[in-house]
Amino acid sequence: MNYQLMLSLQDQPAVMERVLQTTRYRGFCIHQLRMQQGPKGLSVTMDVSGQQPIHILTGQLRKLYDLSSLEIASAQPVGKTA
Amino acid sequence: MSNKMTGAQAILKFLGHQGIEAVFGYPGGAIMPLYDALLDSPIRHYLCRHEQGAAFAAIGQARSTNSVGVCVATSGPGATNLLTSLADAKLDSVPLVVITGQVARPAMGTDAFQEVDVLGLSLSISKHSMQVLDGKDLLPSLERAFFIAQDGRPGPVLVDIPKDILLSEVSFPALKPVQPNTTTSADADLIAKANQLLAQAKRPLAYVGGGVGMAEAVPQLRDFITTNSLPTVSTLKGLGAADADHPLYLGMLGMHGLPAANLAVQECDLLIAIGARLDDRVTGKLDEFAPHAKLLHLDIDPAEIHKRRQADVAILGDLQAILPQLQGPASAAWCHHIAQRKAAKAYNYSQADDAENIHAPTLLHYLSEQTKREAIVSCDVGQHQMWVAQHMTFADPTRHLSSGGLGTMGFGLPAAIGAQVAHPDKAVIAVCGDGSFMMNVQELATLRRYGLPVKILVLDNQRLGMVKQWQELFHQERYSETDLSDNPPFSRLAQAFDIAAEEISEPSQVQEAVARMLAHQGPYLLHVRLDANANVWPIVPPNTANHQMWEQPQ
Ligand SMILES: Cc1ncc(C[n+]2csc(CCOP(=O)(O)OP(=O)(O)O)c2C)c(N)n1
Ligand SMILES: [Mg+2]
Repeated sequence: MNYQLMLSLQDQPAVMERVLQTTRYRGFCIHQLRMQQGPKGLSVTMDVSGQQPIHILTGQLRKLYDLSSLEIASAQPVGKTA
Repeated sequence: MSNKMTGAQAILKFLGHQGIEAVFGYPGGAIMPLYDALLDSPIRHYLCRHEQGAAFAAIGQARSTNSVGVCVATSGPGATNLLTSLADAKLDSVPLVVITGQVARPAMGTDAFQEVDVLGLSLSISKHSMQVLDGKDLLPSLERAFFIAQDGRPGPVLVDIPKDILLSEVSFPALKPVQPNTTTSADADLIAKANQLLAQAKRPLAYVGGGVGMAEAVPQLRDFITTNSLPTVSTLKGLGAADADHPLYLGMLGMHGLPAANLAVQECDLLIAIGARLDDRVTGKLDEFAPHAKLLHLDIDPAEIHKRRQADVAILGDLQAILPQLQGPASAAWCHHIAQRKAAKAYNYSQADDAENIHAPTLLHYLSEQTKREAIVSCDVGQHQMWVAQHMTFADPTRHLSSGGLGTMGFGLPAAIGAQVAHPDKAVIAVCGDGSFMMNVQELATLRRYGLPVKILVLDNQRLGMVKQWQELFHQERYSETDLSDNPPFSRLAQAFDIAAEEISEPSQVQEAVARMLAHQGPYLLHVRLDANANVWPIVPPNTANHQMWEQPQ
């Protein structure tokens, strides 16, 4: 499955590395990534795919202490684009 | 008194406010300001002889007290030496605050002497990590570290502090001790659903993990088991939580679980996972684990729910609050069946006696009885670790310190040091393998320096026994690099550190030697020579269901 995740992050050192490391380690590939700095921190939109159910990844991302919010914006079977 | 002080002084004052009386560490360039400030601080510092040992000592202190342990190291090699222990604490959910010195800010990013990117290295092996880049962030970072280490599922937090911040002037705000979050109460609907599952179950089974001890929910667990007459199995980290004398307590499950425990799991129709995470050493072949059971999963960490197996009902929250709300007595027929098989599969120590060789399970069982379960027992990793788990019983999970998730050889001695510092009046015993012991053998110097009365039992089979066992059983007896028959004489080694020691090799020597060891006032090493051929039974072969375990060949 392909998923689009929207994350808001506190702008702390290594926060993007944490997101990327968690995503790789939990078995997901990133196909597209957009990060923008704003007054409330970082907004990240990330397209990922993986064999595992998405809660395996989102459950771990939600444990990051620099994460303010996470939303699954869309879920598509592989092959379709959002 | 002015509230202005150096960053280093502020750290120590902060630690004092958190109730930290002792820290473990090793000095070096970038952390020198902190060591200078230690000279004027009431905080006791224990110099270990390797940063890995210092961090394991902090883990031993944390696990034996269920509170935060603190260790300190310098930048570069000091920090990298800590990493194994950081990973150990991550996988076993140990609340640890690790403070590393870093090169001064102007030198950062220049490949300066003893500069490593420890923040980068820490990402995957800590619960959280921080680098302090501004003096005003120092105390808030430490507060956050203490909070995160204890929040929900505990874990290690690293705080990396540049040397110039340690030296700079900071102001010390009014602080209260950091309190972890009080967790929200469990969802009433879910409690009702769980009680429905319990009411429907004919063959319920409690599967107890390390979360029970960490939630300080041992009394609630024991009430839950007793009130509902629940058969119970335990993970390695859960040992000590359930009352080992309860007639329906079956001991450890999993790869080296006891037969009655593994068989009960395979037969149950409701598995109640309590602070446990269905780890692969527990489940064996996952598809065939507890094949007839619904899963009721109780945990504090949402990411563990549905991770390895879909739960039928999952309740997130504090086990102290959840367990008293659950009820559903097990049927008499199921209890009777469990009790009968427990008796039939009970380990027969007298039958195991062999006139020639000391039998480690019998020795450990004897030691457990002699210490009346009250001793704190730490372990290394290997066959001896599994024998401890199978043949010793513990009054509480804080009395059994074993490296579970990471399985780190060399854990036993330094963890015992931390436990002894935290409990000066308790018996603390490190059960070490001959291979593992050599991985942190330098900590004998720490024992001697502080006169800590840790008792070390080296179970010497002259082998990397657990690996040898796998080579024997699954690699056609092709023994590759597991022979340690050129071990040094461990008792003479201890004596060189001024530690009393003796060596035994015959079964008839065991009882008196154990008595001498336990009665000795200071540290003591008992070197026990074992048969190199002994193996741990049962064993569940790789990719096999737990009921297909191989039991001891007759
Ligand atoms: C740091 C580390 N390296 C390697 C291993 C792999 N390993 C697991 S058990 C074991 C053998 C341990 O030997 P010993 O301490 O003598 O214990 P025994 O199994 O003989 O009781 C090894 C090498 C490990 N767990 N940890
Ligand atoms: Mg050995």
